[in-house]
Amino acid sequence: MLIKYIFIPAAAAIAAYILNKKNKKAGAIVTALISAYLLFSLALLYGSWELSQSFSLSLMNYQVEFLLALTPLSWLFAVLTAAISFLIAVFSIESQADFKFSSAFNLNFLLVIASIMGVLLARDFLTLFIFWELMTWTSFYLISAGKKKLAGKAAFRYIILSTGAAYAFLMSAIFIYQQTGSFAFTRAAEFLLANSPVQSILLLAAISLPFMVKAGIFPLHVWVKDAHGNAPKEFSPFLSGMMLKVGIYGMLLVFHQLSFFKIIENTIAYRGLPLLSYLFALLGAVTIVTGTILAIRQEDMKKLIAYSSISQMGYIIIGIAIATPLGFTGSMLHLINHLIFKSTIFLALAAVIYRTGTTKMYEMGGLIFRMPITFAAYLTAIIALAGIPPTNGFISKWVIYQALIEKGYLFLALVAFFGSIASFMYVFKPLSTVFLGQLKPQHAEIKEVPLLMKIPMLILIGVIILFGVFPGIQMNIITQISGYLGMETVNYSLYSIQGAFGAWNSLYIFNIFSAGFVIALLIFGFAKKSKLVGLLDTYSSGEYITDAESYHYAYQYFRPFDRIFDNLAAKSLTGFYETLTNNLVRSGEGLRRVFAAGKLQNYALYSVLLFVILAAVGWII
Amino acid sequence: MIDLIYKIGHFLLITIFTMALGLLFMGIARKIVARIQKRYGPPIYQPYLDVLKLFGKNAITHGFIFDFGAVMALGGVITTLFFIPLGSWQLYSMEGTVLLIIYLLAVASLGMAMGTVGSGNPQASVGISRALTQMLGYELPYLVILFALIFRYQTSSIWGLMQAQAGSFLNWNLFAYPLMALVAFVVLIGMMGKKPFDAMIAPSEIGSGPVVESGGKYLGMLLLQKSITIIIELALYVNLFLGGADNIFSFSFKMLIVWVLATMFGSLFPRFRIEDGVKFFWKWPLGIAILQALYIII
Repeated sequence: MLIKYIFIPAAAAIAAYILNKKNKKAGAIVTALISAYLLFSLALLYGSWELSQSFSLSLMNYQVEFLLALTPLSWLFAVLTAAISFLIAVFSIESQADFKFSSAFNLNFLLVIASIMGVLLARDFLTLFIFWELMTWTSFYLISAGKKKLAGKAAFRYIILSTGAAYAFLMSAIFIYQQTGSFAFTRAAEFLLANSPVQSILLLAAISLPFMVKAGIFPLHVWVKDAHGNAPKEFSPFLSGMMLKVGIYGMLLVFHQLSFFKIIENTIAYRGLPLLSYLFALLGAVTIVTGTILAIRQEDMKKLIAYSSISQMGYIIIGIAIATPLGFTGSMLHLINHLIFKSTIFLALAAVIYRTGTTKMYEMGGLIFRMPITFAAYLTAIIALAGIPPTNGFISKWVIYQALIEKGYLFLALVAFFGSIASFMYVFKPLSTVFLGQLKPQHAEIKEVPLLMKIPMLILIGVIILFGVFPGIQMNIITQISGYLGMETVNYSLYSIQGAFGAWNSLYIFNIFSAGFVIALLIFGFAKKSKLVGLLDTYSSGEYITDAESYHYAYQYFRPFDRIFDNLAAKSLTGFYETLTNNLVRSGEGLRRVFAAGKLQNYALYSVLLFVILAAVGWII
Repeated sequence: MIDLIYKIGHFLLITIFTMALGLLFMGIARKIVARIQKRYGPPIYQPYLDVLKLFGKNAITHGFIFDFGAVMALGGVITTLFFIPLGSWQLYSMEGTVLLIIYLLAVASLGMAMGTVGSGNPQASVGISRALTQMLGYELPYLVILFALIFRYQTSSIWGLMQAQAGSFLNWNLFAYPLMALVAFVVLIGMMGKKPFDAMIAPSEIGSGPVVESGGKYLGMLLLQKSITIIIELALYVNLFLGGADNIFSFSFKMLIVWVLATMFGSLFPRFRIEDGVKFFWKWPLGIAILQALYIII
C-alpha cells in the first residue's frame, strides 16, 4: 500500500489546519507526528524494492494508468524528506507564534510532504506531473508566507520559472503518450531508445527542464537566492535541504531510467565522456563558480547560504554527469550530506532570526556568548560544508575529487577546488560577523532558543559527526541505488571508502584527531591560567573605545576579493532576465496600443480584416 | 598494550621533535633576514627562549572561544603532522593523501581564525579576511599541481608519490617537472605568509592581524603551531618535489635548504596588496600550473 504515504500526510494536512485554528502549536505537532510516522514506516520498507501499486482510470475513451512503485532511489529521498520534515516541524513548534498564517503554513507543509512522496513514488509521467505541480504550488504559498514583501516577488519568480518548465515537461510527456499509448516510464524509455536520437534528446531536454529549475542549475538558478532568502525561516531548511534535491532526483530519472545516458552513449566524447554529459557537467561547474562568487558578496546571511546551496548543487551535478562509479557515489554522498549540513545551517540561522529578528549580518555580532548551542550547530555544519575532516562533508568532496582526477577532467577539478576553498570564505563570514566579534548592546539580553529548537540542532550535529566517522551507513543505500541503476559499485566498509588513488579511513583520522587535540589541550592546561577580560578590552592602537557597535568588523567582509569580481557581478543574470521581461512587457504594451486602443471601430476593422484573410486563404486552398 | 604505549611514545616524540625543529628554523630565518638587512640579529636559539618566556607569562583571554581556537589551531596541526612521512618516520603516513593534508591544515586555520576573531578585535577580523582571501589565491595553483601529480603517478598517497621519484635524483619532480616545482615554491612562500604575501599579518598596518590579541600562552601556542606548520609545508614540498629521504637527517637538511631559499626570496620583495596578491597567484602560478597539468594529462 504505497498510496498511504501520499494520502496520510494529505489528510493530516486538513486535520492540522483545523486543529491549528484552536491552538497555535497543534499544527506543527501534527506535522511532527506525521513525519515521524512516515520516517518510521518507510524505514521498515528498506529492502522491499518490488512493492508497487497501480490505479487505472478510464477517461473519455482514454485509458490512463497511475503507477506507483518503491525503488531504492525513491526510498532514500523519501526517508530524507520524512526525517528533515520531522526535525523542522519540531523546531517550528515554538516559533509558530511568529506566523501570521500559522494554520496555512502547516497545511501547505504537509501537502508539500505528501506531494514529494507522490513525486518520488510515481512511475509514470502523469502521476509525476500532478504531484510535481502540487509541490510547486504548495511550496509557492509557503515561500510567499515570508515576512517581507519581497517574499511575494521571489515566490512569483519561482512560480513563473516552474510553470513554464512544467508545460515543456507536459508537452513532451503527451507527445510520448501519443506515440506509445502510455505514460509509464518503462514504455517511454523503450520508445526513446528506439526513436531518432535527436528527437529523443530534445524530448528529454524538455522533460528535464522543471527538474533543472528545482535544482537551481545555472542559468535557471535566479529564483533560488530570493526564494530561499525570503521564505519563512522554518521553511528555508526544507527548501534548501530537500526541495533542491528533488530536482536532482528528477535528473537521475531522466539520465538513468529514461535512458538519456544510453541514448548519448555513442556520440562524440571527450576523455570517454559523451559531449552532452560533459556540457552538463560544465553547467554544474558554472553553477559552482556563480554561487560561490555571489555568496561571498552577500550581506544577508540567508541569501548567502542560499547562494552556497547553488554552488554545492554544482558538485552533485558534476558527479552525476560524469557518471563513473566514483562520481555517482560521490554525488549521492554529497546529496545526503548537503541535506544534513545545510538544514543545520538554516536551522541555526532560523534560531538567530527567532531571537534577533534580522537577517542582515552587520546588525549582529558576538552572539556566541548568548546562544552557544546555536553556535555549535552552525560551527559543526560549516566545518562539514567546507569539507574539513572528520565531518561528513569531507568524504563526499574527496570522492568527487577522486572521480575527477581519475578521468583527468582538469577544468572541472579546478572549479571544484575553487568552490571548495572559497567556501571557507563565505561560511566564515556569518561565523565571524554574527556569532563572533562584538556583542551589540541591543542583543545583550538575548537568551538561547527554547529546548524544542535546540533538540533538532543537536540531533543534526550528532548525525554530521556520525556520518563523518561511519560513511558506510550511507554507502549501504547508495550501493543499492547504484546496483538498481545498473552501475558498478565502490568498495567500502563501515568506516572506509576505496577511492581511485587510495582509501579513506575515517576511524584513523578520528583517532589521530582526538590524540592531536589531547596534546594541545594538555599544553593549554598545564600553562598558567589566564585572566578573563571583556571584548572591549582589546588592543586598539591607543584609541579609547566606548561603543561595541563601531568596533565590529562586519560590513563588506571580503571587500578586497569582491573588488576582483566587481565587473562580473554587475552583469547579473537576474538583470538579463528582467530586461527580457521589460522588453516583452513593452512590446506587448506597444501591440496593445496599436491593436486594442479601446475604440470599437478598430475592433470592427480587425474583424473585417480577419474575415477577408480567412476568405482569401480559403479561396486559395 | 605495549604496542599502544609504543605508539603514544612515538607520537609524542615526533611532536616534540617537530616543534623543536620548526623553532630552530624560525631562529635561522631571523638570523638570515637580519643579515640581509645588515643587522646582527638575535641568536639562533631565540625562538626557544620566546616560547619558554611566553608560557611563563600572565595571559588574558576573551572568553571560551578564544581558548578553544588556540587549542584547535595547535591540535589541528599536530593531527596533520601524523599523515606526512618525515624521512623514515611514518606512523600513519601510509594513510595520508595529499588532498587530506590540504583539508586537515584548514582545521588549524579555522581554529586560529575563530579564536582570534572571537577576541572581538576588528584588526584580527581584517587579518583573517585577508588570510582567507589569500588562501584562495595560493591553494588553486597548488591543487592543480596536486591534480597533475596524482594523475601522473596514479596515486594520491604522499608515500606513493615519494616512492615514484626513487632511484636517481634526476627522477625528482624538481628535475622532471621544474615548472611545477617553481610554482609550488612560490605557493610555499604564500602559504607561509612570507614577504610579498604577508598582507594578512602586516604588523605596521593592522597590528599583526590574527595574533593581535594573543599574548602569554596563547602566543606561545600559536608559535608552536607556526613551527609545526612550517615543517608540514616544507615536508610536503620535500616529499613531492625533492624525492623525500630515507632518514630524518637528510630529510631535515632538504627542508632546511628549501626554508633558507624561501626566507631569502621572502625578504627581497615588498608587500602585495591583498587582491593584487590573489591576482598574481591566479595569473602566473595558476597559468603555469594549468599548462603543466595539460601537458601531463594529454
